[in-house]
Amino acid sequence: MTTRRPGWALTAALVCLPAAALPQAEAPSGAAELADRGLEFAQAGQERRAAELWRQALEVDPGHFPALFNLGYMHFAAGRFAEALPRLESAAQAAPDDFNAQYLLGVVLQKLGRGVAALRAWRKALEQRPDHFQLMQVMAVEYGKGRFHREAADLAQRALRLRPDIEDLYHMAIHACREAGDLRSGLEVASRAAGRFPRSARAAFELAWHLQRDGRFDESLPLLRKAIDLDPEYEEPHFFYGDWLLKQGRHEDAVAPLREAIGIRPDYMPARIALARALMGLKDWAAALAELNQAARLEPRHPQPHLLLSQVYFRLRDRARAKQEQELSLRLRRQNPAFLEAVQSQPFPD
Amino acid sequence: MRIRSQLPLILALLVPVAVLAQGVASRNALPVKPAEASGLPWEAVFVDSAAEAGLDLEFTYGGARQKRYIIESNGSGVAFLDYDGDSQLDAFLVNGSRLEGFPDGEAPTSRMYRNLGGGRFADETASSGLGQSGWGSAVCAGDYENDGRLDLFVAFWGRDRLFRNAGEGRFEDVAIAAGVAGGERQWSSGCTFVDYDRDGLLDLLVTQYQRFDPATAPPPGKTSNCEWKGMPVYCGPRGLPFGGVTLYRNLGDGTFEDVSETSGVRGVRDYYAFTAVAADFDGDGWQDVYIACDSTPSILFLNNGDGTFTDYATEAGVAFNEHGFEQGGMGVGVGDFNRDGWLDLVKTNFADDYPNLYRSSEGLFFEDVCVRAGLASNPRYVGWGVELVDLDNDGWQDIFQVNGHVYPELDSQSKVDESYGQSNLVYRNLGGERFEDVTSLAGPGLRAARSSRGAAFGDFDDDGDVDVLVMNMGERAALLRNDLPAGRGWVRFALQGVDSNRAAIGAKVVVSSGGARQTQVVTSQSSYASHSDLRVHFGLGSAEQIDEVSVVWPTGQSEAFGPVAGGRGWLLVENSGEAAAVP
Repeated sequence: MTTRRPGWALTAALVCLPAAALPQAEAPSGAAELADRGLEFAQAGQERRAAELWRQALEVDPGHFPALFNLGYMHFAAGRFAEALPRLESAAQAAPDDFNAQYLLGVVLQKLGRGVAALRAWRKALEQRPDHFQLMQVMAVEYGKGRFHREAADLAQRALRLRPDIEDLYHMAIHACREAGDLRSGLEVASRAAGRFPRSARAAFELAWHLQRDGRFDESLPLLRKAIDLDPEYEEPHFFYGDWLLKQGRHEDAVAPLREAIGIRPDYMPARIALARALMGLKDWAAALAELNQAARLEPRHPQPHLLLSQVYFRLRDRARAKQEQELSLRLRRQNPAFLEAVQSQPFPD
Repeated sequence: MRIRSQLPLILALLVPVAVLAQGVASRNALPVKPAEASGLPWEAVFVDSAAEAGLDLEFTYGGARQKRYIIESNGSGVAFLDYDGDSQLDAFLVNGSRLEGFPDGEAPTSRMYRNLGGGRFADETASSGLGQSGWGSAVCAGDYENDGRLDLFVAFWGRDRLFRNAGEGRFEDVAIAAGVAGGERQWSSGCTFVDYDRDGLLDLLVTQYQRFDPATAPPPGKTSNCEWKGMPVYCGPRGLPFGGVTLYRNLGDGTFEDVSETSGVRGVRDYYAFTAVAADFDGDGWQDVYIACDSTPSILFLNNGDGTFTDYATEAGVAFNEHGFEQGGMGVGVGDFNRDGWLDLVKTNFADDYPNLYRSSEGLFFEDVCVRAGLASNPRYVGWGVELVDLDNDGWQDIFQVNGHVYPELDSQSKVDESYGQSNLVYRNLGGERFEDVTSLAGPGLRAARSSRGAAFGDFDDDGDVDVLVMNMGERAALLRNDLPAGRGWVRFALQGVDSNRAAIGAKVVVSSGGARQTQVVTSQSSYASHSDLRVHFGLGSAEQIDEVSVVWPTGQSEAFGPVAGGRGWLLVENSGEAAAVP
């Protein structure tokens, strides 16, 4: 007897897995037959009829895994995540060792905004396929979104150990380590990435960033130049260099690299803000005002341009306009707290 | 044989989760490794001499292992002051309480310790009349009657106290009669005496952290404002009702008038205000006030010279950090670390953030140069008391910062790599541009990991260097005696106002020696909720004398005093033009 999954699911496959044994021995044959017939209808594009048959199969055997999974998948594919959830929860319960059931349950939970529950389901999926580096990537992103940065860093590094030939995995691990505050590991991964991918501008830049954090700016500078040479359209090294010069109080030197960054990416708000600050340091009030007004036009909800505008007007002794900009900045801050707020890391809940 | 489908793994399908907050402003700042050590010797070594000195109070401040409410966490300030006029620094320790209360007669009180000389103190709490119990938070001293005796204002959760110094070592609480007691349920968290209207009488500014009521405050873990890195903790300050600022004008008859509305300070809303520092920051001859605020922008009240203030903290660049982030501001130190004659500020913040080093240019415009100055290497600390103070008498103001986390629950979990006790920090000033962390060289007094809050600065043993008195949550105070070897020059000035308030609070002192000019101000409160010695201490390096001392008195008038020798204290009396040696 053969039970199959719908063909439309196969079209989206990234990875093929061998079939896992399902607990079919106890299931009544009627449920299996109904489920198989449902699958035939699904493959013929008659999804309503297919769903009806799968529901009938579940009346015969409420724990019939293929019917549960296929119904759940059908709802998922149609974007009906809330309807998919109970089916997939039951499917995952009926076959706790089934990778796909746990994985899809996780996807649906994540779609419903239940990131922690999704990660729990994916953890079970990963137990079944501990070498599944693609799932590790998905999970690392989700861990990061949930502020579970330590877990993200550990998983990203695990994926990297499995596939040290994929550059993106290095960058994912570097990012996760940075978010977790683990600069030592971040530097180690960045060093390996730069060694393995010597033609990668991003790898050079990431290593430069970490070396600077490690107090080794002399070593970092050639890598920044290398990143720029390798990819002249890569804006971050320009910004990073300019911002570093700004932090050292070298306002005049900071202007050119910050302008480069903005030239590559005109909506690069941090670079525009940094450039405005450099211009303020040079007391070039007219240029600073122009930059800040442009920044405010690009991102009208962002409080930072108005905050700096208030400072420029204050220095120009225009206290009325300074106060006006200060009040606008404060109002925007309260309306859009995410712009100027950093949220802390936390451990994954047991 | 079953054919299993494989499902798409698409990163892009992930929807953003809701952005969660925490109860306090913090920004995941990573440490910036400092430049290589200078290799210069550091000789200011601190030894905790509290036990041998007889400072035996163990502070009480809420639960020891768990804090259910924010009132239990912020601790209190301390004071170094000469309350009995014997020219020796006495120590006043503000104490707290516990939410469950105490049996009658067993409640802990604040303590006054009289300096006996020889490094010993005597507990004079009972005889002084200062043995009040309750949730004390901040202290500031000033001579509001201009009678030559220092009075004390102590801020509380509950009614504030104004302790009038009646002489002969006795104080009496006159807060209600004077009109400065505040409300029964308000939580005052900072205070400073300041002559804001230049009438020669000290007025009083009081900050309120928030309106706190345990009956309505949510329990730990209730909302995202009650979490720290996933751990349920007490709530706030975010999500709790804001406090405010109150300004009392001294009427000269022993009473004060609440001028908060007319002066404009009450118009500033939505702040969790802590330490207040008064000084003439913009050099216009009128006293301004800077207030460190927690998880809200900090406040810079510039004095308009007409009895009103306007908050220009954002415009002047001292409300946020350099990137415009709100911070968990706690303590403030004021000084002139780069010796350009303008007053700079150092502010401590919550964990995962850097302190601010606001360098002033032209008095009105500040730039946060913390990273550039090398102060971004220790973001794991929750900073509290802080001061710009020359610890090694080399003529450059160093930074002393006391630290301590607010969640004792950290010590009973393993997921977050943080602990309640934290060591304090010492940064050496390397010529006005950069600082370096010399904590590891600063002696055994810096090795203890405690949860510290207030800190006061002064030379309690009169040996020519600045010592530090530190409040420790649930523990004995630390009396960090500076055992700097003799060798570098120093000088100390006591100021006495005549037209100005007698304690000369708000005066700016500029000394010139060996071609260098140093600047300090006389403050009634700084650090965290604390009061330091009103006398100003200058290190002179290799110089042995001061070429000139000039004072800008709180009235705005300047006065020059002639050359004086180092290695001793001097009294500068307003309008006298001459420095008088003091023993």
